[in-house]
Amino acid sequence: MSELPVLRIEGLTVAYRSSKGWLEATRQVSLEVGAGETVGLVGESGSGKSTLALAVMGYLPNGRIQSGRIRFRGQDLLALRREEMRQLWGRQIGLVPQDPLSALNPSLRIGEQLGEGLRLHLGLNKADAAARALRLLEMVHVPDPPRVATSYPHQLSGGMQQRVMIAMAFGLEPALLILDEPTTNLDVTTQAAVLALLEELIAQRQTAVLYVTHNLGVVARICNRVAVLYAGELLETAFTTDLYRQPLHPYTRGLLDSVPQVGQRHASAPLQTIPGQIPSLGNRPDGCVFVPRCALATEKCHTERPLLHTPTPTRTSRCHFWQELVASKEWGGTSEAPVVNGQFPISNPQAPISNSSSPLLRLTDVSVTFRKRGWRKGVRAVHEVSLTTARGETLGLVGESGSGKTTLARAIIGLTPRSSGEIELLQLRLPPALSARSRAMRRYVQYVFQNPEEALNPAITIGETLQRPFVTLQGLSRQEAQAAALSLLQAVRLPPEYAQRLPGQLSGGEKQRVAIARAFATNPDLLIADEAVSALDVSVQAAILNLLYELQREHENALLFISHDLAVVGYLADRIAVMVDGQLMEIAPAETLFTPPHHPYTAVLLSAIPNPNPQAQQAPISLADEVGRGASTAIGCPFQGRCPRSLGVLCQTQRPPWRELPGNKRVFCHLPVEEL
Amino acid sequence: MFTQLCTRSRGLLVSGLFLLLLLVACGSTSESNTTSPQTGDEGARRGTLRVAMQPIVNADPIAISSDSEVLVANHVYDYLVDIDPQSNPIPRLATAWQISADGRQYTFTLAQGVTWHDGSSFSAADVIWTFNRLRNTAGTPTADLYANIASVTATGDLEVTFTLQNPNPFFLYDLSDNHALILKNGTTDASSSFNGTGPFKVVSYAPEDRIILQANDAYFIPGQPKLAGLEIIFFNEDNAAVDALRGGQIDLAMRMSSSLFETLKNEPGIIAIDVPTNGFDLVRLRADRAPGNDPRVIQALRLATDRQAIFNVVQQGYGAIGNDTPIGPLYAAYHDPTIQPPARDVAAARALLAAAGYDASNPLRLTLHTPDTGNRPNLAVVLKQQWEEAGAQITVSVEPESVYYGDDGWLEVDLGITGWGSRPYPQFYLDVMLISGAQWNEAHFANAEFDALARTAGTTLNEQERIAAYRDIQRLLVERGPVIIPYYFAQFAAIRETFSGFELKAFAGRTDFRNVSYVGP
Amino acid sequence: MLLPHFAVRKLASTPASALGGTIVLMFLLLALFGPLIAPYGLNEQLYDEARQPPSAAHWFGTDHLGRDVFSRVVLGTRDVLALAGLGTLLAVLSGASLGLLSGYLGGWFDEILMRFFDSLLALPAMLLALLLLGTLGPSASSILLVIAVVYTPIVARVARSVVLAVKSKAYVEAARIQGESLARILFREILPAVLPALAVEASLRFSYAIFLVASLGFLGVGVQPPSPNWGLMVSEARQHVSQLPWMMVYPAGAIALLVIGVNLLADGLKRVIMGNDYL
Repeated sequence: MSELPVLRIEGLTVAYRSSKGWLEATRQVSLEVGAGETVGLVGESGSGKSTLALAVMGYLPNGRIQSGRIRFRGQDLLALRREEMRQLWGRQIGLVPQDPLSALNPSLRIGEQLGEGLRLHLGLNKADAAARALRLLEMVHVPDPPRVATSYPHQLSGGMQQRVMIAMAFGLEPALLILDEPTTNLDVTTQAAVLALLEELIAQRQTAVLYVTHNLGVVARICNRVAVLYAGELLETAFTTDLYRQPLHPYTRGLLDSVPQVGQRHASAPLQTIPGQIPSLGNRPDGCVFVPRCALATEKCHTERPLLHTPTPTRTSRCHFWQELVASKEWGGTSEAPVVNGQFPISNPQAPISNSSSPLLRLTDVSVTFRKRGWRKGVRAVHEVSLTTARGETLGLVGESGSGKTTLARAIIGLTPRSSGEIELLQLRLPPALSARSRAMRRYVQYVFQNPEEALNPAITIGETLQRPFVTLQGLSRQEAQAAALSLLQAVRLPPEYAQRLPGQLSGGEKQRVAIARAFATNPDLLIADEAVSALDVSVQAAILNLLYELQREHENALLFISHDLAVVGYLADRIAVMVDGQLMEIAPAETLFTPPHHPYTAVLLSAIPNPNPQAQQAPISLADEVGRGASTAIGCPFQGRCPRSLGVLCQTQRPPWRELPGNKRVFCHLPVEEL
Repeated sequence: MFTQLCTRSRGLLVSGLFLLLLLVACGSTSESNTTSPQTGDEGARRGTLRVAMQPIVNADPIAISSDSEVLVANHVYDYLVDIDPQSNPIPRLATAWQISADGRQYTFTLAQGVTWHDGSSFSAADVIWTFNRLRNTAGTPTADLYANIASVTATGDLEVTFTLQNPNPFFLYDLSDNHALILKNGTTDASSSFNGTGPFKVVSYAPEDRIILQANDAYFIPGQPKLAGLEIIFFNEDNAAVDALRGGQIDLAMRMSSSLFETLKNEPGIIAIDVPTNGFDLVRLRADRAPGNDPRVIQALRLATDRQAIFNVVQQGYGAIGNDTPIGPLYAAYHDPTIQPPARDVAAARALLAAAGYDASNPLRLTLHTPDTGNRPNLAVVLKQQWEEAGAQITVSVEPESVYYGDDGWLEVDLGITGWGSRPYPQFYLDVMLISGAQWNEAHFANAEFDALARTAGTTLNEQERIAAYRDIQRLLVERGPVIIPYYFAQFAAIRETFSGFELKAFAGRTDFRNVSYVGP
Repeated sequence: MLLPHFAVRKLASTPASALGGTIVLMFLLLALFGPLIAPYGLNEQLYDEARQPPSAAHWFGTDHLGRDVFSRVVLGTRDVLALAGLGTLLAVLSGASLGLLSGYLGGWFDEILMRFFDSLLALPAMLLALLLLGTLGPSASSILLVIAVVYTPIVARVARSVVLAVKSKAYVEAARIQGESLARILFREILPAVLPALAVEASLRFSYAIFLVASLGFLGVGVQPPSPNWGLMVSEARQHVSQLPWMMVYPAGAIALLVIGVNLLADGLKRVIMGNDYL
């Protein structure tokens, strides 16, 4: 890398104004991105990665740059005048934001928006710009570019919108591209397609890319180099393969340890967790920023800020004890484990799957139809789902957004009454509506919501929140409930003084612990966890997953664990059900789901998950038609519109049969068993 | 603001402003030039008097009631008998009359040379037709008023005789009732034809705007009217009328509050006139039930009332201080100024109330009802203050007239303030307001002695007997009456000083413009 | 109570809301200590000093009946503040309850109530007030009721809109799962989220209520002389305006000042509670 890097950040310190004065959001961060290089900027929320990206874009409305330089091709960006900056913008530096819809003008057609930038920066005339815009849409593999060009942003799916943003960013052939979590809001399959597109374009154009993300899988998939940011400080930089093979900072190591890989199961390989949480800007420790959460910390770490060591010419680590990490055996074990097809080996095939005589929960042909005002036909969110689960069993439910998995869960708890079908719990028929259910029935089923920020009432103390179920469902007195609430806090590893706190004083992970505690208050027979960890940072996610596992073991309740993340579901579940458009596609024991034969959809899903292991050779199966989603009809297979292995008319018109596969798998497909 | 503009000296703007002022000035001058036109031919008659009045609704004399309606009719038509500003009957179409000894026959000699505006000549038949119409049209006030008339006959071409069933000492006043304007025999369109014998002829009538009249050159009284024209311009708001007077758009305004009148007194070029009337605000306490059935209560309130203060602040000194009887000083022949209610004595009032059983622990609590018009709300607030000094507790209830005069209103409530207009003779008040069972006996007063006196006064043909009866009535009311009359109204008018001969009457509608003349340039 | 210190400090730091706060505070003090401040009684008639212009003896002059205008304006503060304040409180209580219930329950109850409120809102507030006072009969308690009825729909709409946003939040659903009663869900779970919007709306409604009370007084509905209601005072002053302008200037000025004060404060409150972007 002798030539001038495209982007060079030198000792950048950015601070935000707050009531306590200026708080540093990033501290002396240095980073380079060369042409054709994709650098992943990884960090959890609060790490300062967005601040860094914003600083490069010259947009810090409440902040200021206290020291450091940002050079673009050697030119100091901070010294540029606004007008010069604007010239550079779009033309030389492009951006793909997380939320494409907020970046697109809702009142302009896609073609016009693309053309506008071309005309502005390249001085093309209207006709040329329009032609160029069409070519750009072709470049990003948009089906039917002329139609897309005449569409408005809201008429396109999220994946399509992101493709348009990518076309816009690449259209001016910039030297530097900043990608800010561009696939975070997308489904796994869509994410896989967008990542493939990015990979292709970056390789073609030799663009320098700064890729901001929290997803280690995505980084492994697309980045050459990785920079790990924590509490505003760069803790480690390395080539992707080196970093994943042997992280030289305890934080990086913890991070990698806390993400379940596809096929990893708690029973065989429990996740390592990082205790504690990322410090807020005002409460940074004096020494190493990671010290409160670090297992290796010594006295030195508390007092002395580590330098950025350079163990090898291509990597850096801000840890006093990076040498010890090199020597550490513990890590080496996992990284050297045989990786087969990017999947974990099945280590414990005889894990206990509860086969007790009668199932705890039985769903029979459950359908949920939403009636919309002015629509003659309702919207079918869940269609004839039949399921059973036994006491002590964890049933995973996987599906992309809109697949109906949350609706199904809400139908079970009664928040969204089902339209038809039966739900039996402990051989007791549950009425569709929550309000029709008895106290006992409510006690049997409990629910953990996706977003911990909304799960707890911000105006009610943790103590009161935890007492309520004892009072309402168990009929305990105030005093009894108080005591019970304290023991609950203990059960979810929170200190008792948290009872007096309001949710605003808790971190996301702590809130989710409280939400889980509340659900366990009534000792439910069935716990539904709806995306219970997806809003959490990875380092916190692992702890919550382990907590759920332990509590379930303790209470022997059935757990219905819902997630869009197959790896996370696989980590906890004994059996996994896969849903598409409100219907089940496959039910299989967790041990066998990840090995072929698969239902075609499961196969797509598995191939789409970015594995946080750069060595895993991934070749995502592309979907037949990304636009075909939602086009499925009541007749035929719900997946046929997108199925890469569709049999045509048969799949379109006939409902597939349930087929038994070896390994206790059941799949809902027309394809013969031997072809799967 | 104007000086500010000038000092900023935005030349264009200032000159523009001047131009505008100039135009406005020219406009108003030219307008005032045309307002008092002179009729060249008729040497004696000149000038037009522009009078502000509220809009008229009825033009048929049988249905008129408001000031403005009567004012218009009084100048288009003539009465048989008129009333002068001192409330004496005077000749009009009837030049003389004779009353039979039994008081039952009235014979009137009619004026000669009277013609209708349409040119036909006036005769006894017109008088007979008019009075038959007035007494025979059911549902009109005059049907009641003239029920006592047995017949109306012509005893000559220009002589009419009225025969009464019972003697009526006030029959001449009755003949001068506001409605009793003489119409031409057989008139069918009385509400629009305006075919009178009166001093002015209607030129045009624009409802809600104005009515324009011109002098009747053939008027039967020589030298009258002295004006060439009369214009009655309709105003709904007294304030607006007064502003118009100030601004020169009208020459005479006759309805205004004492406050407005006060502001006109020092206005150059305008003569402000006030005359006493016998109209009054009547404060009365129901006498047929508690607390008013105890005569000490009304007497205590009488003692607690400070009439001079009320006259000063509520009336601003206009009109006259009242003495609790409807036989006011305007009726010089009947009014006895020596009969006065007791002077204010709060301690005595308190003692009387205590004797009646009302003290600090059980105060006299009353709600004082009043319509929201005139000075009555002010009177109520002042009485509240004065009576509360004597230990009573008064709640004021100001009500819209429709509520006050409604079914559960003035005839039912215990304590109320009612306004009564000025009448040419006092018997009216006694008959309708105070005798037992009278139609509008709002105080529910029933006193045999009073009834007998009132009957005597109303029927005797002996004037001395009547005077004596009225005197006794005044004494009785001051001592035992259910009413407090704190003041008599004044009637206000303001006229441009370019007119002379204006004589305001207690009832403004009967004000006569025949002798008003234009003395301006 | 609804406002933490920082909000008070923030309010005090913007000149406009500080001014509004000062004005409102001044009137509050006048309302509390009016009888101590006013040199004369509200209906005390000094017959020899009637119709006097403002002077050292009578700061705001005397009226046509010899009453001290300053005393009457001061004593009228309590009347206006109490009626407007209590009326607003009633409106907020009933509006919040109905809004909470309507927003949370939804369905036909919501539909009927909101249609009904729409029809009430279609009438001008003044007309509605007059209609109601006509039926109820004029009295202080009916004015309270009128303010409550006139402003309940508006408050209810505000509360309802917040409820709609909050009721699908997970913590409300969690409360439903825990079998909480309707009352507890409405008032313990949802109400705290509605309070900031309610506080802002209440302050706005309060300024309108002051104006409504004064307007009704001006029309002479619901208040009786010799009440020092500012609106009634202005109305009484009308026929004397050319001679005794001070009779009108001071009560009218008091209305304007108080309304402006409350409005400035309400604006500030809105900024502090809802953030700058809200406007």
